[in-house]
Amino acid sequence: MAQTALPASRSSTSTGGAGKWLGVLPFFLFAILFLIWPSARLMVAAFLDDKGGFTLANLAALFQNQTIVSSYLLSIEISAVTALAGGIFGFFLAYSVTIGGLPKPLRSMLITFSAVASNFAGVPLAFAFVATLGRTGFITAILKNIFGVNIYQSGFNLYSFLGLSLTYMYFQFPLMVLIMAPALDSLKNEWREAAENLGATVFQYWWHVALPILLPSILGTMFLLFANSFGAYATAYALTGGSLPLITIQLRAQISGDVLHNPSLGYAMAMGMVIIMAVSTTGYIWLQSRSERWLK
Amino acid sequence: MKFVTWLRRAPLWSGFWYLLGVLYFVLPLYATFDFSLRIERDKIGLLAYQKAFADPGFLQTFVYSNVLAVITILVGLILVVPTSYWIRLRLPEARRVVEYVTTLALVIPAIVMGFGLVSVFGAPIKIPFTSIQLTDSLLNSPVGTNFIVVMGYTVLALPLMYRSIDTGMRTIDVRVLTEASQSLGANWFTIIVKIILPNLRASILSGALLTFAIVVGEVTISSILNVPAFSPYLWLLGQHKAYEPAALSFASFLLIWASMGVIQIVTGGRAQAAGAH
Amino acid sequence: MAYLSLSNISKQFGDAVVVQDFNLDIEKGEFVSFLGPSGCGKTTTLRMVAGFEVPSSGQIILEGADITDKSPNQRNVGMIFQAYALFPNMTVSQNIGFGLRIRKEPESAVKERIAEMLSLIHLEKHADKYPYQLSGGQQQRVALARALANHPQVLLLDEPLSALDAKIRVSLRSEIRAIQKKLGITAIFVTHDQEEALSISDRIVVMYEGKAEQVGTPFEIYNFPKTAFVANFVGTLNTAEAEMVDPAKGIIKMDGVRFESANQVEGQRKGDKVSIAIRPERFSFASEQKKANVVDCTIENITFLGSVVRIQVKIGNTKFNMDTFNNPFLELPKIGDKSQVTCSREAVLILG
Repeated sequence: MAQTALPASRSSTSTGGAGKWLGVLPFFLFAILFLIWPSARLMVAAFLDDKGGFTLANLAALFQNQTIVSSYLLSIEISAVTALAGGIFGFFLAYSVTIGGLPKPLRSMLITFSAVASNFAGVPLAFAFVATLGRTGFITAILKNIFGVNIYQSGFNLYSFLGLSLTYMYFQFPLMVLIMAPALDSLKNEWREAAENLGATVFQYWWHVALPILLPSILGTMFLLFANSFGAYATAYALTGGSLPLITIQLRAQISGDVLHNPSLGYAMAMGMVIIMAVSTTGYIWLQSRSERWLK
Repeated sequence: MKFVTWLRRAPLWSGFWYLLGVLYFVLPLYATFDFSLRIERDKIGLLAYQKAFADPGFLQTFVYSNVLAVITILVGLILVVPTSYWIRLRLPEARRVVEYVTTLALVIPAIVMGFGLVSVFGAPIKIPFTSIQLTDSLLNSPVGTNFIVVMGYTVLALPLMYRSIDTGMRTIDVRVLTEASQSLGANWFTIIVKIILPNLRASILSGALLTFAIVVGEVTISSILNVPAFSPYLWLLGQHKAYEPAALSFASFLLIWASMGVIQIVTGGRAQAAGAH
Repeated sequence: MAYLSLSNISKQFGDAVVVQDFNLDIEKGEFVSFLGPSGCGKTTTLRMVAGFEVPSSGQIILEGADITDKSPNQRNVGMIFQAYALFPNMTVSQNIGFGLRIRKEPESAVKERIAEMLSLIHLEKHADKYPYQLSGGQQQRVALARALANHPQVLLLDEPLSALDAKIRVSLRSEIRAIQKKLGITAIFVTHDQEEALSISDRIVVMYEGKAEQVGTPFEIYNFPKTAFVANFVGTLNTAEAEMVDPAKGIIKMDGVRFESANQVEGQRKGDKVSIAIRPERFSFASEQKKANVVDCTIENITFLGSVVRIQVKIGNTKFNMDTFNNPFLELPKIGDKSQVTCSREAVLILG
């Protein structure tokens, strides 16, 4: 059958033209009411002072408040660290079951577990890590009783930056695996064979061909991992109870009216968070589209 | 084969990383399971599970979250399926906009989302730019609050639900199916109910299970809006008990594992991630 | 000694024997095609020469050196893939120069060689383009240049034209042949398209189910097929069942019709059932010129194929196709007419 466009006047649409947008109206209505308006409300309120006039004072106050600035920095730090570490670990895992040549059943197990782990974040994950690396945790006990290493004496603490990072890793690297496995699949075998045929070693193939091709995908996914970690609240709070002043925890406290007694500051904090998330997500989307040029 | 050739071909490097991955996945789970069995000193038993499940708080909140999850799934499907179908069939221009919306839902973290919902719906509903009040703040009533909570959950689940359904629609090529059905004389109802939906079973199930996982695990919006959901209960439990929270955590892991396993089976390996919350 | 020699090559994957006892000597500068249907082992054999598969048994000797166990990046063979396999992150120039840079050739020599190759494939203006900006035919030419840039001893082409449009296929195959002749490079070309193989090869190896059925020039393969498979695979063919009447004189009877053949198969006896085959173009109307075999027939169908007119005739109970060149002033018989057709004794092939 020749390619014919679906005529707009077929069957029931007597409206055609603008009436076409009626079909997506419920979706947009929902989006406006419960996504766009609430977010916009906060963004706009960040620029308003007590009397409703436009001001940049709230944003300025963000930078002047040492606590808030260091919260942002802390969140950025932990997000960057877990994005990088999770990205690298996840990449090698994805590699092992694709090009790395491990048998197919191992691959499906890995994918299933990655899907589980990346959904396991939140309260249960925090408890799981307490049971693993807490003071009376499983690994802590093994290290003490079998290897004679007392990590808590050496200064390790699960309820610290390192501990939270390790916990975050649990859902970061699986996300990397889920995204990189298909990307690695699209590395054509012939590229490696062509490179070998032209005299390249495996290392040279990776350095000159495979990694450059994969780089947009890898970097892009790391941006996604960054955003993933930056916006996380539940895991951090369940694990550290607020002792680690991440920006999400600060904001939560602000909403409950605990600490700052200044709603405008809360709006500004939310705005700052959204900007950082938007930058990171944009980076992810842009790099993903770049990678599709070569991989698809 | 010579030993060196075997060495070159055997996936030792891959095996190393895989083993590391397995350890990272399994150890925390094992630790939780092991811990959950030790509520009675010197004895391994399922008492912690018994106590946890018997707690009325557990039943209340678990049922609450499940019910809300089902409602969220329905709302999500009702929003996404017709929209996605419509876009593919009639309105490809809207695709971009819809994808921006789902990306926006990803960009706004749950905590900001909750903050926004409280800001907007914590105030009485007025006709814009007037002072005519329609109703009191939705958040003042349990029904209103539950309604807003479900809407919040739906927003959180939206990107995943949309991607799931959209991929499914692309895979079965709804356009061609619809045109073929129309040329065979089927009306819209038949097309949607008898052809499109059954073929989307896998995507619908996948989206539904992911939404389920998100809702039951959701803490942020639930606690901001102060609803009796499961995960806040779990957190609270963890404040004064040790073994029961571990038991419930392990049980929820099993639940998620079952859900993801089902998704793997019905979609033939397409896996999705919900991300952190 | 031959330039490239494959001796007793076999390849097994588990229980499946994919290539069996393959022997071939190729001279320097020769263009040899491996021709056969999917699964006949032609690509596997090529890949063994390239080093991507290791033979289960046998030897590959190139210019006196045994390369059977050498890894692919240590052989000096150039491979062209069906899917072009150009590196998407590099420009045309960078792709072509890849092998030389890996070998750490001096940059000036590399640049010179790239320019040489670009003019060889007539793509000078596209030097800085990326593969996704090129058409399929252009990409394949770049792949050719990339392989040749390295001064390989042998050029291996794995169905390089299969992914291209029909017209490009025809022009590109002549271009490949011209370049190969100009450079005097030895080449092995794998294809399932017999027209391709016939038109550009010095010799053809027809393969079936892992074995080499026949090796010969295109002329030999087409006109003197040794087995039923070769006869059927290469060119169109009429086949029929017949009975051997007089093995010494080559007389057979098909449906009661007497045929005399100049080709004999060893070990035939009177009464044996045989297959005979006659190429459509070897038939002609007896009214024009009588050859050794003259048989009665009925006109069944006439199809106009452009430069060829295909006339289907019934001889005995069997339908035969007769091809004759189109001639606007040709007087063709009508369907249902009775006529006589003729063919020489050499035209009647007896397949075992």
